[in-house]
Amino acid sequence: MLKRLFALVAVLLLLTGNAFAVAGAASEDDRQSGLTGSLSDMNGKRIGIPIGTNFDKIVENALPDARLSYYNSQSDLLEALSADKIDAFPSDEPVIRYIMGENSSVSYLPEYLDTFEFAYCFARTEHGRKLCGEFSEFLDRLAADGSLDALSDKWFSGDESEKTMPEPESLPATNGTLVMATDGDYMPFEYVRDGKVVGYDLDVAVQFCQEYGYGLKIELMSLDAVLFAVQSGKCDFGGSALTITPERMESVLFSSPNYHGGTVLAVLKNKALLSQGEADFWGRIKTSFSKTFVREDRWKLFVSGVRATLQITVLAVLFGTLLGFTAFMLCRNGNPAANLIARFCIWLVHGMPVVVLLMILYYIVFNSVAISGLAVAVIGFTLTFGAAVFGLLKIGVGAVENGQYEASYALGFSNRQTFFRIILPQALPLVLPAYQGEIVSLIKATAVVGYIAVQDLTRMGDIVRSRTYEAFFPLISITIIYFLLEELIGFLTGRISVGFNPRHRKPADILKGVKTDD
Amino acid sequence: MIRIEHLKKEYANITPLKDVNVEIRDGDVISVIGPSGTGKSTLLRCINLLEKPTAGKIWFDDQEITDPKCDINKVRQKMGMVFQSFNLFGHKTVIENIMLAPMVLLGRSKQEAYDTGMRLLRTVGLSEKALNYPDELSGGQKQRIAIARTLAMDPEVILLDEPTSALDPTMVGEVQAVIRDLAKTGKTLLIVTHEMNFARAICNRVFFMDEGGIYEDGSPEQIFDAPQREKTRRFVFRLKALELTVEGRGCDFPGMIGETAAYCIRNQIERILASRIQLVFEEVTQLLLAALDDPRIHAVCEYSEKTGVAEWTFLYNGPQLDVMASENDLALSVLKGMTEHAACSRLEGSEYSNQLKLTIRSPRS
Repeated sequence: MLKRLFALVAVLLLLTGNAFAVAGAASEDDRQSGLTGSLSDMNGKRIGIPIGTNFDKIVENALPDARLSYYNSQSDLLEALSADKIDAFPSDEPVIRYIMGENSSVSYLPEYLDTFEFAYCFARTEHGRKLCGEFSEFLDRLAADGSLDALSDKWFSGDESEKTMPEPESLPATNGTLVMATDGDYMPFEYVRDGKVVGYDLDVAVQFCQEYGYGLKIELMSLDAVLFAVQSGKCDFGGSALTITPERMESVLFSSPNYHGGTVLAVLKNKALLSQGEADFWGRIKTSFSKTFVREDRWKLFVSGVRATLQITVLAVLFGTLLGFTAFMLCRNGNPAANLIARFCIWLVHGMPVVVLLMILYYIVFNSVAISGLAVAVIGFTLTFGAAVFGLLKIGVGAVENGQYEASYALGFSNRQTFFRIILPQALPLVLPAYQGEIVSLIKATAVVGYIAVQDLTRMGDIVRSRTYEAFFPLISITIIYFLLEELIGFLTGRISVGFNPRHRKPADILKGVKTDD
Repeated sequence: MIRIEHLKKEYANITPLKDVNVEIRDGDVISVIGPSGTGKSTLLRCINLLEKPTAGKIWFDDQEITDPKCDINKVRQKMGMVFQSFNLFGHKTVIENIMLAPMVLLGRSKQEAYDTGMRLLRTVGLSEKALNYPDELSGGQKQRIAIARTLAMDPEVILLDEPTSALDPTMVGEVQAVIRDLAKTGKTLLIVTHEMNFARAICNRVFFMDEGGIYEDGSPEQIFDAPQREKTRRFVFRLKALELTVEGRGCDFPGMIGETAAYCIRNQIERILASRIQLVFEEVTQLLLAALDDPRIHAVCEYSEKTGVAEWTFLYNGPQLDVMASENDLALSVLKGMTEHAACSRLEGSEYSNQLKLTIRSPRS
């Protein structure tokens, strides 16, 4: 235990050193990249693209020779830019303006790559069409009387304290409740503040619901899942700074635009500026720490992330063990039908990446059922864990030699008594270490549930990163938390496994209640 | 007590038991002997249905256990079995191995089971090991525990499947001693074994198994001293047989000489005896080929590992002809010099009407 803790500390020290060494190296490498000029200078440079957006097409049109690489979120792009992994990344002007306020080393080329319009999207169903009509009518009215401009002024500039909006929970919901899909990762359009999703898109949506008597429920998910969630009917509409494109219009309906703007390229002003004007090493750590955990009570996000991760893990372990065991018992006596079904299911579950399995369950299998992402995650991981348990039992029971069955049968034990009294107690100690390993793998595997709108630990780390524009602290924090969770689970299962090994009994317990006076 | 009728056991590629019919009486102590692969273990395992018979019926105490309606688990409680590989339960201590079945299956209290268990452990001399796990014991100790475990159920019959075959030679004695005591208690025992002296010492009945069934069934005196049938005799006296057939003068004579040589090497027959075996075959065959009009000869050589003596038996057709009365003096003197005993007799009504037996012994023995 102590040794492991020591190793963990050593790893962290290395990582810390590395993170700040990058910043240091950048400040030494005081080269003037000359990227202050026009857009055409950027042709042939390395451009980072956020996944799930249409920025790649825009960049390819404007800069045909640019080398593209893909990143998960705005905050990752900013990290990549600082670490000189990319030379620029496209973004919407208001977003960059906000980032510039937070990070003095970033700027953008004033020339527009493209202009665009953001809008809300709806399913191509009767329900979607009706909602889309209402939304468009509302947005047109707001645009005409100037209140849309007032809203954008409020969200795109000015003080954070003035950026207030009504709570979605306070809506009267006389005409039912709408579910809105958003990624919550694109300040100032949608982001998480004080544990609540806010932003320009949210503000407009709440006002719409207020006027039309709807309630509003917000589902957070990664951007590439938003369109899918709307299309499949999981959510009533999507509002996630979605650009209107002909391709997207084939799959969803778009309302009238709620924002007109331009795409620009974000670049580093000057690498030297990166580390200038910031406090010393400890000061920087202190600021980062406070930004990651203290500001807006962001530690609560981590806590709720841990809760989700643990919920999924514990439930999947319980149900998965039950499922695997039941399946094994059905197949044990060589029932060919049961065996065939079990083998098919395991082949299916094992052959698929977990994230694909989860998305298939969420968007296809349970599409028409009102079921939360958390429940789907539990179901998905129950299946994979059940398959693993089935495999482990097969190996463990197969490792008990045939003579044990024969000796038991010859004494007169039934098939069932033989299995539970003789075979299983000898099989379990063989597979428990592998079982513990499966649980640890499961904890780590749950990190993909962000794809189906579950806010687990990893996803919460993403959300915090999208606010602080710092990768180091959130990433290291969730790493440490994962390590601690694994240690905790390892400790608990270790305790349980002692109880399963008959060899660990005390001699006094073996003959409890027997007079052994001879 | 146990009656077996037309028992047949067939596997995909082999049929070890073709047709077994036998009755085992209360108190019988039976040794089951025979060459390997003749279904000795299969017979034992069919009796308690560890192997499901392909056909046939088995009765135990007037209950037909091959009837699908029969509760075999109840029957097995009255039939103990001791395995070649012990099969003690690895996750339980010695005393728990013995206590488990009486407690679970017979509803004995833990105290009762413990007392019986300790008494049995004392009779097999291992009460000190009560709280050890099986893998802490030697092979002989494990097998003694396995016997105690079987006895704890107080069975009417005990089936022992080669109980000492997996043991180090130094440990065979301790297990045999326990089985010898067991045989004196009057319990019905069936023992598959290769230790013939041991079998003879404890049993009152022997099954010799071959040709897919019980080939010869008799008292130990009959089977071991005066076996009635050919294969039993060969097995008990550890005879190694070679059979050659000479048909006409154009037969492959050098090939047969080669077969004889290979037979001697295979059975590790010492060199002098081996050369005598070959010479006798050559000389006798030459004499017969010269004397017979239409020679047909069937020659069998049997070598006993037990006594180190070889015996040639020549069966041949034609009118009465005593080779030992031949006029070929040279050949005769060679034969007489090498054989200890020669006898010629007439077999009327057989395909081969003459029989010549020659006993050959190594000059050293």
